[in-house]
Amino acid sequence: MIRRLLERAPGLRIVGLDHRRPYRLDPRVHFHRVDLTEPTADGRIAEILSKERADALVHTAFRTEPTPDLEMDHELETIGSRHVMNACAAAKVRRLVVASSTMVYGARPDNPNFLTESHPLRGHRGAHQVQDRAEMESLVAEWRVRHTDTEVTVLRPCWIMGPTYWDHVTRYFSLPLVPTPMGFDPLLQFVHEDDCLHAFEQATLKPHPGVFNITARGVIPLSTILSLAGKRRLSLPGALLSRISEVPSQAQSGNPPEGFFDYLRYLWVADGARGWEAFGEPVYTTKEAWMSFVSARRMRRYR
Amino acid sequence: MTEPPDSHSEPRSDSAELAELHEALGSLRREILERFPAREPAPSLLADVDWEALFDDLRRRISSIGMSERSGEVDEFGMDEIVVRRARRVLDLLYDRYWRVDLDGADQLPDAGPCLLVANRSGMVPWDGLVLAHGLHREHPLHPQARFLVADWLITLPFVQPYLARLGGVRACRENAERLLGSGHFVIAFPEGAKGATKVMRERYQLQRFGRGGVVRLALESGVPLVPVGIVGAEESNPILFKWQLPARRLGLPFLPVTPTFPLLGPLGALPLPSKWVIRMGEPLSFEHLGSEAASDELLISRLTEELRARIQGLVEIGLGERESVWG
Repeated sequence: MIRRLLERAPGLRIVGLDHRRPYRLDPRVHFHRVDLTEPTADGRIAEILSKERADALVHTAFRTEPTPDLEMDHELETIGSRHVMNACAAAKVRRLVVASSTMVYGARPDNPNFLTESHPLRGHRGAHQVQDRAEMESLVAEWRVRHTDTEVTVLRPCWIMGPTYWDHVTRYFSLPLVPTPMGFDPLLQFVHEDDCLHAFEQATLKPHPGVFNITARGVIPLSTILSLAGKRRLSLPGALLSRISEVPSQAQSGNPPEGFFDYLRYLWVADGARGWEAFGEPVYTTKEAWMSFVSARRMRRYR
Repeated sequence: MTEPPDSHSEPRSDSAELAELHEALGSLRREILERFPAREPAPSLLADVDWEALFDDLRRRISSIGMSERSGEVDEFGMDEIVVRRARRVLDLLYDRYWRVDLDGADQLPDAGPCLLVANRSGMVPWDGLVLAHGLHREHPLHPQARFLVADWLITLPFVQPYLARLGGVRACRENAERLLGSGHFVIAFPEGAKGATKVMRERYQLQRFGRGGVVRLALESGVPLVPVGIVGAEESNPILFKWQLPARRLGLPFLPVTPTFPLLGPLGALPLPSKWVIRMGEPLSFEHLGSEAASDELLISRLTEELRARIQGLVEIGLGERESVWG
């Protein structure tokens, strides 16, 4: 993201905030260490933002993988976002870009085939990470009403696929034997990491206030996804599946959480039309995004 | 070895030439024998079967049962063109031979979509939706495949969901219907919903309440014509004698239907009976003159809904009258 921004707008001053200095950080980035879970984080961020006279803030401090530490996740995602928003208000930042996910709509049997941005965020009972994210979004929505002089952009990408992206979803799909709920074959959609970054870049550089789903065009059923990757599928009845998935998540290895499998059971496909209109047509379709992930991981074997 | 008579050499019965020919044929025969030696006796059947490949093949076949001919390319609502094309062969058979469907009134349909067809619902398995969509395809092969709306509990039922979606079923909800109509599809709706599907035998062909007027509201808002459709015969192909509550709770179903063949014959009992089907389509109703603001007039909506229900009930009565008997 940073590299892309520097290429696109060379004169830009980029400030990085993280709880630890990233490995291989671009030297053109002015880095500050901030821990969002500290109670005084908001003051510190506000101080940095006003010192650097920041115009836009991209808030992506969220877990890519749910951890077994529920408290910590909540502190970071919900309370941490509050700190960020308070700091933005104090430092009068003009633009705030928040990363969310289409998972916040929740995978429910009564979802329509395409969820628009106005659909209620029902979250998911079984997945605390999604719940936290949904709570964060409601905080953002509240904050937005009170601070009308800041342009708030909320981007909700669906599952991201690509050669370098790595989170609990890609980890799940890289398993040699993919366990899936028996008797279900839902439609899934992905977005390529480049398209997702493009949307973030556009939202940071140009005013796009509002909420946007970031998706690729097209949907594919789960079974097709797995056969495209040459994967073996292990269909298990629901009860057994959740029992099995409990074991590694109890062992704190960051495997798919409880509630994750509902996302492979019910529909939660989002309608990305608004995002396409604002940020341009995505380069990759769902299938292409998936294939780029598959080929980068060299999943296909010769038989 | 017998020498084949050579028609070309016969007129010139030169003995030297004949001998030469004989020689040449002999050498040819030797050469053939040399190149293609006689087959060795066939080995015993099980001697060198590639067991590994066989098991691999078997495993792959088992894991792809029922899905073997899917194309993987689905439209945005999950319909698979190849599965639909394959199902048409079966549906053709059912349509012509099994149920002898008598469809009338399809010429009144608008030439191009969008259009909302409203029909009476019966039976647990959505045969009526499948057959009506198939009938529309036969009458108007150039139209995009008509999509039928399916109640929530059925379209999210395990093992049913993948098939229904591939065959063109869509979850019945407002957003989906709007989207389908917006892209110019023919949409088949069954506003009776679960109440229609779960009618028992003695309530047959008595239309239930039409939800909350969603169909009419949709037609008012989007300005698409409504076509009432009466389907006769679907009730008898899957007749529900009574509802069995106790085992259904365990399975997560609203109830377990008891038909003359189900659950007596097990899964075979889910097969429909060969009743005679009559489908009658009414004149399209257009609400365009009412304007889209009429969609907020609840009284008007309930009046129009009741009118629509009466119309479909009338079409069903016509269909019942035209049918000589349940099986005939």
